[in-house]
Amino acid sequence: MTKEASAQAAALCACALAWAGPALAHHSFAMFDHVHRVTISGTVTRFDWTNPHVYIDLAVPDAKGGVSRYTIECASPNVLTRVGWKFNTVRVGDKVSALINPLRNGEPGGMLETLTTPDGKTLSDSNPPGGVFER
Amino acid sequence: MRMKPAAPFTQVLSLSAALALSGVTTPAGAADTIAGQPDISGVWAHAFPRPGQPADPRLDTGPLPSPPLKPAYMAEWTALRAKQKAADERGEPTAGLEARCLPDGMPSLMFAIYPLEVLQTPGRVTIIEEAFSQTRRVYLDEPQGKVGDVEPGYYGHSVGHWDGDALVVDTLGLKESVPGYRDIPHSDEEHIIERIRLIDPDILEDQMTVEDPKVLERPWSFRFVYRRMKGYHMLEYVCENNREYTDQNGGTHLQLGSH
Repeated sequence: MTKEASAQAAALCACALAWAGPALAHHSFAMFDHVHRVTISGTVTRFDWTNPHVYIDLAVPDAKGGVSRYTIECASPNVLTRVGWKFNTVRVGDKVSALINPLRNGEPGGMLETLTTPDGKTLSDSNPPGGVFER
Repeated sequence: MRMKPAAPFTQVLSLSAALALSGVTTPAGAADTIAGQPDISGVWAHAFPRPGQPADPRLDTGPLPSPPLKPAYMAEWTALRAKQKAADERGEPTAGLEARCLPDGMPSLMFAIYPLEVLQTPGRVTIIEEAFSQTRRVYLDEPQGKVGDVEPGYYGHSVGHWDGDALVVDTLGLKESVPGYRDIPHSDEEHIIERIRLIDPDILEDQMTVEDPKVLERPWSFRFVYRRMKGYHMLEYVCENNREYTDQNGGTHLQLGSH
């Protein structure tokens, strides 16, 4: 396959699966708040490129001079690959910012919407707007 | 994109000869196919609407027809959905198969939220779903077993034959304990007939009919439609790092990472 064909295929796949997000047919994302989205910035302390989800652990400086440690659930490697991520897109020590749907129980975690990497690129997690999934 | 089969593969005909036999349009550039079989091989994805593009009526499957469940099972399903809705509203969704790192099996996997790869080899059609690397083996022109005599599993036992341009697949042996498609109740007598055919060189349709005399009043039919993913290479999927966990009430939570 030519490079162009490959890029075309990737674009096609990203488009076709864009709103499918991380969901399998029956997966509910109701533990996350899809309305009150927040942006957090910090340093990556762990990056798991794994199924069923990719996880980013992030050390986020807080206003009191301390650090909050967040766990961010992303889509799967398969879904992220189709929207342009790679297994080494994120590395431990990277300074990133993440738009997340925070956990509704108030714990320091959330589901990723977009990630801005140190080179200024913004990557989608391909979540659907509002995070609504039909059961 | 497929490799030309090796020499002993005597059933292979040229594309044009296969077309003449099957009467089916095959995508331009497709490799040789198996004698007399329409070429449905390739990678396929659920045909979600594409934002900003005009709707294609061929891809529109419409809402899922309501399953004609017997009253007791309809009550069971309605109660389950109400429980799931309440749990979602609390922010503690009930744990489905995926939250437990388990595959969804037949027929749910044919929804193809992850790509499906179809392979055609002599006497066999193999369907692989990328999520959990779920694999269905359809044995062509073999007799099907009897209800109650086929070992129950996630994918069941599938036999198939070509009826004109359609691959007809007959599946028995689906484990009752595996939640049904959209959690719709089903029994160990579930029997699924699929007609899988190209409705365009790059569009594949699966017309599915579910019979289940224990649970359904009458057969229930619905349709899935897929778009071809040209040049796509399937990715592996091993469910190795599930940070979602289920509490004693069945609610799903996110386990926060170690730092």
